[in-house]
Amino acid sequence: MLQYILRRVVVAVPMLFGAMSIVFFAMRILPGDPCVAMMGDQATTEALADCTKNLGLHRPLAVQYVDYLWRSVQLDFGNSLRQGYPVSEYIARMFPHTLVLVLSSAVVAALIGIPIGIVSALKRRSPLIDYPLRIIALLGLSMPVFWLGILLLIVFSLHLNVFPLIGGGDLDGVISMLKNGEAFSSPRDFLAAVGDVLHHLTLPALALGFTLAATVSRLSRSAMLEVISQDYIRTARAKGQVERAVIYKHAFRNMMVPLLTIIGLFVAVALTGTVLTETVFTRPGLGKMLVDAIGARDYPLAQGAITVFTMIIIFVNLTVDMLYAVVDPRITYR
Amino acid sequence: MPSLIRSRFTLLSVAALTALLTFGLVVLVDPPAADAQKKKILNVAAKEPETLDPHTSILGQTQAIKRFMYRGLTRFAIKDGKVTTAEVQPDLAESWTLSPDGTVWTFKLRKGVQFHKGFGELTAEDVKFSFERQINRVPGTRFGVNLEVIKSIEVVDPHTIQIVLKSFDAIFLLRMVGYQQGYIVSKKAVEKYGEQFKWNPVGTGPFYFERHSPREKIVLKAFDKYHAGRPQIDEVHWFDVPEDATKLIGLEKGTFDVLYPEAVTADFAGQVEKMGAVIDKRGPGQQERFYVNMTKPPFDDIRVRRAFMHAIDRKAIKETMYPGGLARLATSCVPPGYFGHIPMTFPEHDPEKAKKLLAEAGHPNGFTIKNYFISKSFFYPKVLTLAQEQLKKVGIIVELQVVEHATFHENIRKNLDPFVLYGGTRLPDADPWLSLFFDSKEIPDPATGNKGTNFAHYRAIDDLLVAGRLERDVKKRAAVYAEAQKRMERDLVCLPISDVAGQWARNPKRVSTPFDPDYGEFSLHYSYNYPEMLKVLN
Repeated sequence: MLQYILRRVVVAVPMLFGAMSIVFFAMRILPGDPCVAMMGDQATTEALADCTKNLGLHRPLAVQYVDYLWRSVQLDFGNSLRQGYPVSEYIARMFPHTLVLVLSSAVVAALIGIPIGIVSALKRRSPLIDYPLRIIALLGLSMPVFWLGILLLIVFSLHLNVFPLIGGGDLDGVISMLKNGEAFSSPRDFLAAVGDVLHHLTLPALALGFTLAATVSRLSRSAMLEVISQDYIRTARAKGQVERAVIYKHAFRNMMVPLLTIIGLFVAVALTGTVLTETVFTRPGLGKMLVDAIGARDYPLAQGAITVFTMIIIFVNLTVDMLYAVVDPRITYR
Repeated sequence: MPSLIRSRFTLLSVAALTALLTFGLVVLVDPPAADAQKKKILNVAAKEPETLDPHTSILGQTQAIKRFMYRGLTRFAIKDGKVTTAEVQPDLAESWTLSPDGTVWTFKLRKGVQFHKGFGELTAEDVKFSFERQINRVPGTRFGVNLEVIKSIEVVDPHTIQIVLKSFDAIFLLRMVGYQQGYIVSKKAVEKYGEQFKWNPVGTGPFYFERHSPREKIVLKAFDKYHAGRPQIDEVHWFDVPEDATKLIGLEKGTFDVLYPEAVTADFAGQVEKMGAVIDKRGPGQQERFYVNMTKPPFDDIRVRRAFMHAIDRKAIKETMYPGGLARLATSCVPPGYFGHIPMTFPEHDPEKAKKLLAEAGHPNGFTIKNYFISKSFFYPKVLTLAQEQLKKVGIIVELQVVEHATFHENIRKNLDPFVLYGGTRLPDADPWLSLFFDSKEIPDPATGNKGTNFAHYRAIDDLLVAGRLERDVKKRAAVYAEAQKRMERDLVCLPISDVAGQWARNPKRVSTPFDPDYGEFSLHYSYNYPEMLKVLN
C-alpha cells in the first residue's frame, strides 16, 4: 500500500511539472504585457520600463522559467505582480472561500443527486417517478451554473431580497476568531459571523450544487441499476431478507465504489465550476482569483493558482483510489 | 420495503435543503449587521485597487481610494461652493513663499497634523521623504517624472521646508496638490513596512486603512485626529465589483451607496435616473480622441488625414455615446479646464469632401486598413465601430481586431494602428498634457523600446514645449500653448471627440454631498476630491 502511494506521488511530480510548464508558457504566449495591463491608459514610457524591470520581466524567458521552477520547488511562488502579496499567502486566504463553496455544493449535490439516482433506479421506467426525476436531472445537466446563478440572484436577491447580492461574508473574521480563540469568548459574534458566511453561501452552493446534482444522480442511478441486477442481491432476496436490508446492506455499499469515482470527478468539475460561480456571485475565491489574474496577466498568481488546482485534483484522485480499498475489501494495492 | 427507503432519502434531502434555506432566512431576519445601524457606513462599489501606496499607481480605482487616506501640501480650491482644479489652497502647508528668482519655494507646515495609527505628527522630514522617494525612483513609484523640476529639498525646521527648483516652474503648486506625486506619506511607516507599505498605508487623510479582504473589500475608518475634523462617516466599505450591471443592481437594492462605473453610457445613466439616484459629474474629466500617425502611409499625406477628419462625424459619435449632458463635444486637443486651452477648428463632417480629397491623394476607391487593433474594454469598441461605419461611407474600410485591453496597449505602442483612439486625464495644464502626447521624446518605437504616447509621431511643437516651461509670464505662457494648438490644427494630427466628465452614481437618499452634482466638484482622480464632506443620511 505504502509503495503504491509512493509510486503515485512520484508519477504526480512530472504531471505537476507539465501543468506548471504549460501555464508558464501559455501565460506568456498571451498577448499583452502585465505592466500595461496594470497601468492602463496613463502609463508613460518611463513608468512602463521601470515596471518591467521591477517585476523582473526584462530577463530572458529561459531565465524566468528556470527561476520559476527553482522557486516553486522551494514552495515559493513569488509575489502577485499586481498586489504584491506573496502568492502562497494570497492563495491561503482565497482557499477557504473556495473550499466552503465546493464542500457545501457537494453536500447539496449529494443530497439531491444520490436519492434521485437511487429512487429512479429502483422505480425504473415508472412514468410517475423515474421519468420526472430523469427530466430534472437532464435539466440540471443542461443548465449552465452561471445562468442558474443569475436566475437565483434575480429571484432571491433582487426581487425577494432575502439573500445578499455579492461577497462571501466575513470568512476571514470567522477563521481569525477560531485561531485566536475568540470564537468561545464571544460566541454571539462568532455565530453571527458564521451565519453571515452561510447566508452568503446559500445561493452559490445551491446553484453549483444543483448543476452538479444532475451528474451525480445519473451516475448513481446507473450504479444502482448495475448493483441490483447482481447475483448477490438476488441471493439476499432469496434468503428472505427484507428489501430495506437488501438495499442498505448489500446494494448501497457496493454502489459506493463507482460513486467514489464520481467524487473524484466532482472535485475537478466543481473547481472549474467555482470559476463561474464565484464570478457570477462576486465571491472571493480561487476561481475568481484565477480569472482576474489571467486578465491582469499576473503571471505568478495565475501560475500559483493552476499549480494548486492541479495538486488538489491529484490529491483527490489519490485519496479516492485509497478509499476504494476501504469500501471494497477485495481491492488491494501493491 | 423500498418505498420506506425512498421516503427516508427523500425526507432526508428535503429536510437538509429546508434547513439550509431556513438558516439563510433566519440569519436574514436577525441581521448580523445590527451594528451597521449604529455606524454610518459608506458602501462603495468599484474595482479593487492593486496597492494603497499613493505614489505607485495610476489606475482609476486606486487613485480614487487614495484621496480618502492621503493629503498633500496644497489642495484644489473650494471657491463659491465649488471645487476648481484651476486654483490651489493651503492644506498640509499653512502658507508658502517664492523667492524673487522663482526657484525657491518655502512651505510652512500646519502644526499638529497627525499620521494614522500613532505614527506621530507630520514634520518636514516626512515631506522631504515623500518627494525624494519618488525623485530617487524607489521601485514601483511612478510619479517621479512630475517632480524632476526639483533640485534639492532642505528641512529648515520641523515645520518649515524649502524646495529649490532647477528652474522656474509655472505649475509647481499644482504638483504639490494632494494627487499622485503630491501625497505625503509617513516616513516612519514606509521605513517600517518596506515593500508591504502598499497594504499598510499611513497618511494624514480623513480615513485610515483598517483591513483588506482580497477580491472582496477594503475597510477604511474615520480618523479621529484628522486635522480638519473627524468625518461624519464612520466606515468606508470599498467592495470589489468589476461589473457595472452588478453595481447598478446593488445601488438599487441598497447594497451600495455610491458607485464608480467602468463607463457611463446612456443606458447606465437611464437606469440610474430610473431608480432615483443621481450622477455626480466632475470636470475636467477625460478626453476621447484620435491621433493620426503622420509618418505612416497613407496618412503621411495631409490630404488623407483631412479626408479622415471630414469623414468622421464627431457630433454623432458624441451623441450616441454620451447623449445630452453626459459629455461635451471636444473643442481642442488640449481639453477645456486645462491651462492654455483654446478652441480649435477641425475639418467639418463632409463625406463628399473626404471622397474628393482621397481621390486627389490617389485613392479614388478608398483603401482598406487590415488588422486594426482595438481594445474590447471601456469606450474603445463602441467609438471605433461608429467611426468604422462613417469611414466606410467614404471608402476607408477598417477591419477590426477586437483584443484585450492589455494587448491593445501593447500593439498601439508597436505602431500597428495607423490612427489611435485614446483617452486620459493629466494635471490640468497644457504643459504636462502636450509633453506626453506631442513631444517627440514620447514617440513609441518598438526598435528602441520606447513605449511613449505620441501616437501621432508629431515633432512640430518641441520648441514651444521648451519655451512654455521657461516662461514666467502667465499671458505669454498661454500664448505659447495657443501657438502649439494652432500648429496642431494646421498639421491635422489629432481629432478630439468628447470631453467626458468623471462620473459616479450616488443614492441621494443615503448619501449627500455639499457640491452640485453637475460639475460642482472638479477633480483629477476620477473621484470625490473631498470624500470627508460626504454624509451618510439615516
